[in-house]
Amino acid sequence: MKLFHLVMWRVSALLVAILTVWAVFFYWAIIEEVNDETDDSLGDYAETLIIRWLSGEEMPSKNSGSNNQYYLYEVSEEYARSYPHITYRDETVYIEEKKETEPARVLMTIFQTDDGRYMELVVYAPTIEKLDLRRALLGWIVFLYVLLLLAILAVNAWVFQRNMKPLYRLLDWLDRYRLGGKNKPLTNETSISEFRKLNDAAVVFTERSEKVYEQQKLFIGNASHEMQTPLAISLNRLEMLMEDDTLTEKQLSELAKTHQTLESLTRMNRSLLLLCKIENHQFSDEKEICLNKLFRTYLDDYQEVYAYRHIRVEVTEAATFRVTMSESLASVLVANLLKNAFVHADEGGEITVSFTAASFEISNTGEHPLDDKRIFERFYQGSKKEGSTGLGLALVDSVCKASHLSVTYRYADGRHVFTVSRS
Amino acid sequence: MKILIVEDDNDLREITTRSLEKERYVVSQAPDYMTALRKIEDYDYDCILLDIMLPDGNGLDLLGELRALGKRTNVIILSAKDSLEDKVKGLDLGADDYLPKPYHLAELHARLKSLFRRNTREGEHTIRYGNIELVPDLFKVLIGGKEVELNRKEYDILSYFMLRPGRLVNKNTLAESVWGDHIDQVDNFDFIYAQIKNLRRHLKEAGATPELKAVYGIGYKFVIE
Repeated sequence: MKLFHLVMWRVSALLVAILTVWAVFFYWAIIEEVNDETDDSLGDYAETLIIRWLSGEEMPSKNSGSNNQYYLYEVSEEYARSYPHITYRDETVYIEEKKETEPARVLMTIFQTDDGRYMELVVYAPTIEKLDLRRALLGWIVFLYVLLLLAILAVNAWVFQRNMKPLYRLLDWLDRYRLGGKNKPLTNETSISEFRKLNDAAVVFTERSEKVYEQQKLFIGNASHEMQTPLAISLNRLEMLMEDDTLTEKQLSELAKTHQTLESLTRMNRSLLLLCKIENHQFSDEKEICLNKLFRTYLDDYQEVYAYRHIRVEVTEAATFRVTMSESLASVLVANLLKNAFVHADEGGEITVSFTAASFEISNTGEHPLDDKRIFERFYQGSKKEGSTGLGLALVDSVCKASHLSVTYRYADGRHVFTVSRS
Repeated sequence: MKILIVEDDNDLREITTRSLEKERYVVSQAPDYMTALRKIEDYDYDCILLDIMLPDGNGLDLLGELRALGKRTNVIILSAKDSLEDKVKGLDLGADDYLPKPYHLAELHARLKSLFRRNTREGEHTIRYGNIELVPDLFKVLIGGKEVELNRKEYDILSYFMLRPGRLVNKNTLAESVWGDHIDQVDNFDFIYAQIKNLRRHLKEAGATPELKAVYGIGYKFVIE
């Protein structure tokens, strides 16, 4: 969830709650005020009526034509004692002139005359329709709420855009940042100290990881470089030893095994060194290369080498795929993809290679899909294969990155498919 | 044949010396630039194996010194820097060959052999071993004076062995030399065996004196019994 959405959503939710409580209080306060006013006037009216009646003056008509009316009648002592002296309540009255019921505030008061009789006076005063009021209030609150929400959203969006710009610029920069790649320097001028700190922290951390990455790269490069000579010396010594005619066959076979292990170590080292060189952009002999042709050349060799695995190869050339890249890197790319296909195809399986003008695809039959996120990592191997260094696909990936190409892997219809296209 | 090895890595120098001495070369060693300079001033060599990165100087400067001294010595540059630039510069300065380090001793021997052959038998471009004659310029093979038809791979294998007679040749190395660098990491060498079998048959039919002997688990040796 984006920060912006979170803030908006929380503001809206809080507003609903606050406005609801506020509306209830508002309604309650207004009703209270209205009742208070009505009760006051009812009280005054009742008092006038009682004084008039007690003094024997002429009473106003019972019904003044509006719903302002009164009743005066005698009640028993028990009744008078069982009811409070004065009560107010809300009622609806039927008004004959209007032929409809209207809400009214009612005052009931019981008083005693000089001669000890109990009289009850009921006075009706028209009042506001509370349901209408509630409806109106609700309508206005909803309207107000929507208006307020829109205003707040607009203000928030504006505030966000203005104040959070440096944050989003920084996030955008971080999104684009690639370790070990070419990165634009962070340009994010701001006068807000928090954002400045964040900028500085981001720059410091990227610089630090860049440094560590460089050191690591350098270390791998140096280590594999330094290992070359000792490895070659060991191999040469072994070979000299193996030329000794007095060795028994058993000794010779042990030596041969050691020799083989050392050779695979040498190969792995060579691949690592090659990876370092590619990543350091040490291949600059770019020229136009026809990959179809290169494929055909290598395919013949590999078919001969892997003849014992009885793999069928099918090549479809819809067009010629030409790329501008280093010739040696093109060889690395093609050789490793082909080798990968031949080594990992099932015995008696099938390899297909197809070309278009902007890409080529190589696929081999295989049982289980591989992890497409890790397949191009160094030393990631779906299943350990004899004679495989685990660096072939890492090399393919590096070559593509260095040559404006992109390589993707997918598993479809029981086949591992690698697609190389211009990026 | 007298050879000077200019190489600062003791291990590498020692093993190269031993291997060359086994081939009956006379070998001198120089671990640094100054020693090498003194030696080339005082003595004459048939070939100098020259490392470029030396602790007290650049091996390429030694090429200039050699020229200043007016000596026509063959030089094979050995360099860990297998960059094209170094190679071109070295060959421009009068080096005869370039071998990237780390090198295979068998490879070094083959280079030395072809270098000396070029020098000693000017005009005659054939390699002989036993009753086999190989004419690299024409891709022709003569056994006992009669031409033998070989396919491309068989010819490449034979010429590889002709330059390394009597030496143990590793299957891997052979595959990489004949098929190319991309044939590494192979765990099955049936494809070599198939070609070797054919080559053996051709040699036997033509009555060649040397034969290809398999060395268990490692590779082959081209020897005259």
